[in-house]
Amino acid sequence: MDSISVKQVLEVIKKAKVINNVDELIVDVLLSEQGVDSLDLSGILLSVDEAFGVDIPDEDIDGLQTINDIVDYVNAKA
Amino acid sequence: MIGISQIGVYIPDRKVSNLDLLEKFDVNESFIKEKIGVLRRARKQPEERSSDLCVKAFDDLNKKTSIDVSEIDCCVVVTQNPDFNIPHTSAIVHGALGLPEECASFDISLGCSGYVYALSIVMAFMQANGMAKGLLFTADPYSDIIDEDDKNTALIFGDAATVTLLDSNAKLIPMGFDFGSKGAGYKGLINEGKLHMNGRAVFGFTATIVPKSITKLLTKLDLEKDSVNRWYLHQGSKYIIDTITQRLELDKQKVVFDMYDYGNTVSSSIPLLLCHDIDSMQVGQKIGLSGFGVGLSWSSAIFQRIN
Repeated sequence: MDSISVKQVLEVIKKAKVINNVDELIVDVLLSEQGVDSLDLSGILLSVDEAFGVDIPDEDIDGLQTINDIVDYVNAKA
Repeated sequence: MIGISQIGVYIPDRKVSNLDLLEKFDVNESFIKEKIGVLRRARKQPEERSSDLCVKAFDDLNKKTSIDVSEIDCCVVVTQNPDFNIPHTSAIVHGALGLPEECASFDISLGCSGYVYALSIVMAFMQANGMAKGLLFTADPYSDIIDEDDKNTALIFGDAATVTLLDSNAKLIPMGFDFGSKGAGYKGLINEGKLHMNGRAVFGFTATIVPKSITKLLTKLDLEKDSVNRWYLHQGSKYIIDTITQRLELDKQKVVFDMYDYGNTVSSSIPLLLCHDIDSMQVGQKIGLSGFGVGLSWSSAIFQRIN
């Protein structure tokens, strides 16, 4: 699979309507500092899982705190 | 045809406020209102057991429609928090209500999918055995098994009980059901002395399986989702209801939400919603039900108002 981009991940999150302010997200800032709570993060990771076919086990969640973290993770697992 | 005739409910007056726990769990009021969807959780008295809650729900049913207990053919309790492991709670309810010796009694061990499962089980049981009147109870008080320091569960669950009168004078009859299980995920919600929930696993299961179950059922019945007038989904949390609504692209106005004042009451959540609407539904209206959770397990159904 070709590397996925930040733009692709943001599009997936926007399409899934998990959170409202996708265009305002800063990719290298903690999601929790941008109003994304634990439930939102579950929704984001589910949409990423479904879009890119990447199973994300619970033990990896702590390392996925920014959009960049998620993009890097998906590319590493692909 | 056997169907749902009336519903009695019991919600304890005693409530515990989630707004008093904001600091303890490092959450804000918006999270409690908009994501959890529970402001206060109903709490039974510590000494009360599931059978006590069932009897109180029956008292409510008896006020709505006079019940001659000598006519009851079966008594079924959906619970995973029985009074005792032995005997079954339905036997205790049977005795407490003075039901006749000819009345069959058994429990069904299911959680949040239990009401919809049990409707199918009990209606089929009654029809197969020529029974005319049955009582289907739900009572799963989680307050006895909640770890009050566990953020994943302490803000969600409330105590309640319901009883559904099933008979041939029904207002609601089933059009079809869908059932399923994902036993490999059973650890997602488990009681090992105290309740443990993997919130992300349960959310992922619900968000993916429930829309599929409902879509499959509608296809089987050759129904468009817009032909369903109201949706009564298990009240797991507001976030869960909103997610299912969004994923199925349901009309939000048709999706009932009401758990702010008592919490997630497990198998009682759907009948607690239905009891408000059953008398005001118009003949011909269709309603969708879906229960999902412990097991992991799910069941969906479409019912229609007939008289």
